Amino acid sequence: MTTEQVAPLRQITGGRLQRVQAFAVASLLALAVWQLATLISGGWVPSLWRIMTALGEDATTANIYAEMWITLRRIFITFAAATAIGIGLGVAMGLNRRVMAFFRPIVVMGLAVPDVVYIIVAILVLGTEESSGLIAMVLALIPFVINIVVGGVGARDPGLDEMSAVYRLRRVRYLVDVVGWQVSPALIVATRTCFAFAWKLIVLVEALSQPRGIGAQIYYSFRLLRPDHMIARALLFIVILRLVEAIIFAPVEKKFLGWMQ
Amino acid sequence: MTHSDHYIRVTGLDVSYDGFTPAVTDLNMDVAEGEFVAVLGPSGCGKSTLLHAISGVVPPQSGTIEIAGRPVGSGRGDGSVPIGYVLQEHRLLPWRTVAQNIAIVLRAAGVPDDEVDLRIDRYLNMLHISKFRDTWPLRLSGGQRQRVSIARALAVEPAVVLMDEPFSTLDEVTARVMRQQLAELWEESSQTIVFVTHSIREALFLAGRIFILTQGPARVFDTIEVPVSRPRRYEDPRLTELEAQIVEHVMDEWGYGATAGEDAQR
Repeated sequence: MTTEQVAPLRQITGGRLQRVQAFAVASLLALAVWQLATLISGGWVPSLWRIMTALGEDATTANIYAEMWITLRRIFITFAAATAIGIGLGVAMGLNRRVMAFFRPIVVMGLAVPDVVYIIVAILVLGTEESSGLIAMVLALIPFVINIVVGGVGARDPGLDEMSAVYRLRRVRYLVDVVGWQVSPALIVATRTCFAFAWKLIVLVEALSQPRGIGAQIYYSFRLLRPDHMIARALLFIVILRLVEAIIFAPVEKKFLGWMQ
Repeated sequence: MTHSDHYIRVTGLDVSYDGFTPAVTDLNMDVAEGEFVAVLGPSGCGKSTLLHAISGVVPPQSGTIEIAGRPVGSGRGDGSVPIGYVLQEHRLLPWRTVAQNIAIVLRAAGVPDDEVDLRIDRYLNMLHISKFRDTWPLRLSGGQRQRVSIARALAVEPAVVLMDEPFSTLDEVTARVMRQQLAELWEESSQTIVFVTHSIREALFLAGRIFILTQGPARVFDTIEVPVSRPRRYEDPRLTELEAQIVEHVMDEWGYGATAGEDAQR
């Protein structure tokens, strides 16, 4: 993502007041649609009140936080491994034609394989251990990260490469000061995408193969036909993840993209 | 013949874009130490490729390039002399402040840490942009960015400064001011400068000697001494007269003359 692409985005989303108003309108509409669905479904879709009650019950039990912690730990392991490997390989592919020629077909295939196939194959090969799900998720996420990073590295300004060569910048300085900062918008997009996918996929893995974690809890509520608790637990975890995003990603983004303003 | 007469020595230089398409062919030129020369040629004739080869960024197919008696290399620690390069676009890192942009190349050139700040201040002062020391490049005007680019090239205290049409993207008034200041800077520093341009007037105003290149692939078509003493005025009628003579002189060679038309018909 370039400076030119970021600036119009801000113009489109408008000022803080406009964003708050838009959020309020969208939220109210979503709540109204949900309540309508409750009425139409004859009670199968839980009402807002039932969800709020379940949310209150779940939020006051200590067990839910232990489950959340297990899921968070899994997300961070998957996210960290997939981001590190994906960024490393993506930068190498963007800078070296031979590395690109070798890995490109693998990445293309990796992108095409459905995530659930990774999970099933990992369970078949490694069993239902926790590690098998994590490995499957890392393998599923790496191609996404690589794809975004390769695009960012490929779109870098060749003029700055020329400048680096003229002034004989050392390899490390070139990678950090020239390539790294230039592709930082792409790296941020890659890490955010990786984080978002990691949480969705880990919950799926937990629902399919693990006895612990938020995914397992959601699936457990589903089996007991308690959709209100299913939604409440998902909502609680979404709040935690949004907090993590706000605490970790927002300052990093500000630091690395501040020069664009 | 002394070393300083052949401070930059290019002999039988052949450079190609892709290994097959020649950009520079059998080019020979000598530049004396402290000389300000201009390389003049039509757009796309290979002027920039010549500078790239002199800077060591592009390897020659054949021929040699020596600066101060040492062959031009392509990397750090290769024994070649340091070179300052001002490109058509400023090529500043937008995520680094003005001072940080200069510091990065100074450290790459092996300048000791305790000298980096002193040099940054000295050259920013020289280019009249010291107040923008801690500013992001995106907040500067085109002229200010190009001044930073020149300060960066000079701060390395290079053996040679290469300039590739550095004022071509600026508005005319800014470009004239910059040319004037460059001429004054050169007179103060006696730095060896190779200035590439397609503007005859610019070459005549700045340089002591002009290498006129052929239409691509580039080789030296003629070398002209500028017989006008310094300081010069951009509007000097003698420069206007010389400009007209050069235009007439290169018309055929650059493919715009009567002979060129006849050639095309054949």
